[in-house]
Amino acid sequence: MKVSEMEMISPTSVHECLHALTDQQKSSRLIAGGTDAVVRMKDRNWMPDIWINIKGLKELRYIREDASGLHIGPLTTHTDIVKSELLQSKADVLTFAAKEVGATQMQNMGTLGGNLGTASPAGDTIPALYVLDAHIQLSSLHQIRSVPIKDFFIGPGKTVIKPDEMISDIVIRPQEKNEIGIFEKLGPRKAQSISIVNFTASLKIKAQTRQCIGGKLAFGSVAPTIIRAKKCESMLLLDPLDEHMIQNIAKVAWKEVAPISDIRASANYRKDMASALLERGLYRLMKRWENK
Amino acid sequence: MSIKVNNPIGKKHRQETSSDRFQWIGKRVPRIDGPEKVTGELQYMTDRSYPNMVWGKVLRAKYPHARITNIDTTQAKVLPGVICVLTYRDIPGFNGFGIVTPDQPVLCEDVVRCTADAVALVAAETNEIAEEALNLIQVDYEPLEVVADAEYAMTEQAPQLHPDGNIHSHVKINNGDVNQAFEEADYIFENTYYSPRQMHAFIETEGGWGMLEEDGVLTIQCPGQYAYRDRLQISRALGLNPESIHVISSPNGGAFGGKDEITVQIYLALLALHSGGRPVKIHLSREESVQAGMKRHPFKVQVKTAAKKDGTIIANQVRAVADTGAYASLGPAVIALAVEHACGPYKIPHVDIEGFCVYTNNGIAGAFRGFGVNQVCVGIETHLDMTAEKIGMDPIEIRKINAYRQGETSSIGHVVKSSVGTHQTLDKAQNCDLWVNRASYKKQPSEPWKKRGVAVATSFHGVGMGIGTPDYGAASIELLPDGRLKVAVGCEEIGTGNGTVYAQVCAEMLHCDMSDITVVQGDTSETLDGGTVTASRSIYTGSKAIATVAPQMIQLLAETAAEILHTPAKNMEIENSTVIDKKDPSNSLTFIEIYDYLSKAKASTKVNGHFYLPKEKEEIKGSGGAPHHIYGYMTHVVMVEVDTLTGETDVLRVVSIPDCGRVMNLQGLEGQTEGGAIMGIGYTLYEDVAIEEGYHKTKNFADYIFPTIRETPEIETIPVEDPEPTNPFGAKGIGEVVMIPIIPAIMSAIYDATGARVRHLPATPERIFEAMKPMNKSAPISSR
Ligand SMILES: Cc1cc2nc3c(=O)[nH]c(=O)nc-3n(C[C@H](O)[C@H](O)[C@H](O)COP(=O)(O)OP(=O)(O)OC[C@H]3O[C@@H](n4cnc5c(N)ncnc54)[C@H](O)[C@@H]3O)c2cc1C
Repeated sequence: MKVSEMEMISPTSVHECLHALTDQQKSSRLIAGGTDAVVRMKDRNWMPDIWINIKGLKELRYIREDASGLHIGPLTTHTDIVKSELLQSKADVLTFAAKEVGATQMQNMGTLGGNLGTASPAGDTIPALYVLDAHIQLSSLHQIRSVPIKDFFIGPGKTVIKPDEMISDIVIRPQEKNEIGIFEKLGPRKAQSISIVNFTASLKIKAQTRQCIGGKLAFGSVAPTIIRAKKCESMLLLDPLDEHMIQNIAKVAWKEVAPISDIRASANYRKDMASALLERGLYRLMKRWENK
Repeated sequence: MSIKVNNPIGKKHRQETSSDRFQWIGKRVPRIDGPEKVTGELQYMTDRSYPNMVWGKVLRAKYPHARITNIDTTQAKVLPGVICVLTYRDIPGFNGFGIVTPDQPVLCEDVVRCTADAVALVAAETNEIAEEALNLIQVDYEPLEVVADAEYAMTEQAPQLHPDGNIHSHVKINNGDVNQAFEEADYIFENTYYSPRQMHAFIETEGGWGMLEEDGVLTIQCPGQYAYRDRLQISRALGLNPESIHVISSPNGGAFGGKDEITVQIYLALLALHSGGRPVKIHLSREESVQAGMKRHPFKVQVKTAAKKDGTIIANQVRAVADTGAYASLGPAVIALAVEHACGPYKIPHVDIEGFCVYTNNGIAGAFRGFGVNQVCVGIETHLDMTAEKIGMDPIEIRKINAYRQGETSSIGHVVKSSVGTHQTLDKAQNCDLWVNRASYKKQPSEPWKKRGVAVATSFHGVGMGIGTPDYGAASIELLPDGRLKVAVGCEEIGTGNGTVYAQVCAEMLHCDMSDITVVQGDTSETLDGGTVTASRSIYTGSKAIATVAPQMIQLLAETAAEILHTPAKNMEIENSTVIDKKDPSNSLTFIEIYDYLSKAKASTKVNGHFYLPKEKEEIKGSGGAPHHIYGYMTHVVMVEVDTLTGETDVLRVVSIPDCGRVMNLQGLEGQTEGGAIMGIGYTLYEDVAIEEGYHKTKNFADYIFPTIRETPEIETIPVEDPEPTNPFGAKGIGEVVMIPIIPAIMSAIYDATGARVRHLPATPERIFEAMKPMNKSAPISSR
């Protein structure tokens, strides 16, 4: 198969797109911002007969709130997320994560749906979607279903999306008034880098204190899929989050992750960094809390 | 390439010093090719296209070390759209290339020694068909044992990669008696340092065009660093007269040494002979460039240094082993320069230095900005800091005590007669804000768990070729019909801005406006052979060559005017592109009028000139070419901030203090000091091409990490001008040394911040974190 023999179609509505996905004669793949798709095509990893170009589907690019939560269209770009006042106030952690995807060019082109679709264990927005209890809505011509984020990924690069389905909505819970989040990324450099480890937290804190009354912590790039740090989460509630307490939680963090060694970092370093990013993240988070 | 000078001079003037007597030289002049480059009007050669063009591709070796038992191209040849498939059988001349020792086959015949090796070439109607054809070439291999480590390569057991064995060169410099000195020393420091396989990472990967013209001339347009030598290597492989080959090698989308050797020129030439006169294009993908392109030699350097309590270094022993990969290219010269510079710009009485250039199956290493000095400067600079710390001496003071001055004897035992600016650069360092106020800057880390460090380092770098390699410069100046002057210098524009300096020099010498100068570089039909654009030599060499030929042009103009005006030539003066009779200023002729007269008389309007670079008389025996006559000197002061939780390190500030002789163009100098600093930061903290068992683990820019604008600190340039007497303007070279002392400076600043020494570069967060572990027992850091 040559790249020049590939076809590309550009449906003008979601309905048309779902029709195209239903045709199982030829293999197809969606392309949104293309920041993963084009790279993988160049490496000959993704070589469908037909590319279905959805970048023009404006109806899938939105950020809005209703009684069921915050809705983000899959074609929403990282830049859209960073700039959204609604998300800044009710999903701060997602805006922080989106701001660390690649650099400006990637944020302008790359989409939230694409970050989910690629399903990389290093995908930077995904841990934020964990701590915000995201539900991914999948549509096919005949069915719409909603999958909780924890059930969405089945391994590196693998999701529960069926060949005739696409992501049609991403629903997250709004953060509460006393909830505050943070995203920490360790890459080989500051911009245009793949996470060696990333860490996301969203904590509810009792007003005027450092007492956490509920929090969610997630690590990326330290296991085949995102890891929720449940032990650390339960420790959050024990004592006020002073420096000492933060260090105590950090000491446990490395036990929650199961990283591998690769060209970018050893497994041991990644374990150490799970602890380090948790410590640094919670420290920064509490500092922001105090200044709030 | 020819470029018109548009907007000659910027408004911004620094406090002019010695350069006040010049109109153009020493001024902050914007680049003459700036507008074209910024707007994109100037194309990369590899971005051009021609009607009727064909695409060339190279089949690389499948194994890092294997015997070829058969090559079958039948299937590839019959693929529709394929124009030709070539193997070693199709090479009319000598099947090899290499600047010094041509040990690299153009196309492999019996054995492949690295995955950069080329086995076959294809030309086809489209890039995709060419790619498909590569897959159809059947090469049968018998894999051989891979030599993956340079020190293993030096042992008896290792398979011999070349007939003369795996140690391609071994150079030494010995002075005094190190053993005696080690006995007399108060302190001895002994450490081993490892350096990375840095990639040039130019924005324009290797590529170009080949075309057989109707008149039989073979034109090769291919960005390079020495058109005349490329032409020689092409002609040798093709068995053609060099005169029938026209090489255009400029402009160039970045080179840094990586296009000094032949890249694809010979492939282009071979394919052009078989494409029926159609232009052939080869342009390597980034992945192919990573696999096939030159890299910097990774070194293992063992250093043992002896010091006295008063801070004098009395002995230095260095053993450097360089992995040159499968072929020599400039490896022996790199190692010779490493040995020459391994003891720094100091006067250490007892030295014992040796270097080995060793073959392995790890790709190919060759020329790269710094040329061996980057790898060896680390040992001596670190040991100076260790000594200073031991005896409680200031790091700048200890360097001053040990640095030689002009007229003194260097560590390698020669009396340095040319300009030496080390002491002035150290004075400037001592007085710069960052150094003076370092204690207070260090107290202001951006977050409580971060630590700051400030450090200094100094180094030097030879300008031009050492002993044993011919070194000359040449230029021509031609009067054009419109009264403009065309100055032609062989040295390519590889991104440094040398062409702007050539225009400045020509305008200065001929008393005209810079906008009246056209500069031509890197073209065998337009420029004379004036040597390479390497070895920090193109400003020194080009400016001197133009200054050598300019008087001939003045003479031509004056004598012609005298003839026309019937006045003695000695009365003639040039001003604003006009020749004027001093005695009677109304009596004058414009350059245009002079051109018209000469052209009617069928007389030449072009003058040529050349000169030889000054050399030392005597080579240090066994050194491979040391010493150089001219060196550029350089001091860096840096501040880093280390995140003690993760090991991430930011370089926050750089003070770059070059001694470049006369500053020819301040803006160009800053371009070099800033670019050099960033490349040095990349070398120290980020960059390495990983090769395992001969296979590249680093594939492209996704996993080759170099600094972006977010890793780029504030860089301040404080030039020292110690004029070099052998250049008419006092210029020296600066292109390489600007990235050198920053390497040990960053390493020492990390130590200053954290107490941790990293001796294996790049100092990645993981390596720094590991080195800090023993320090952090009590620190507020999570540990397993
Ligand atoms: C230089 C560079 C740097 C990068 N840095 C980062 C980084 O720091 N962090 C990070 O997380 N990522 C990074 N990426 C990866 C990439 O930019 C992100 O994953 C981005 O969010 C992908 O979005 P996209 O719209 O470009 O996806 P595409 O490439 O268009 O698609 C990606 C995948 O998602 C599928 N897909 C897209 N939309 C849908 C949908 N609606 N329903 C179902 N499937 C869908 C596609 O079929 C495809 O399989 C980087 C990429 C590059 C090239």
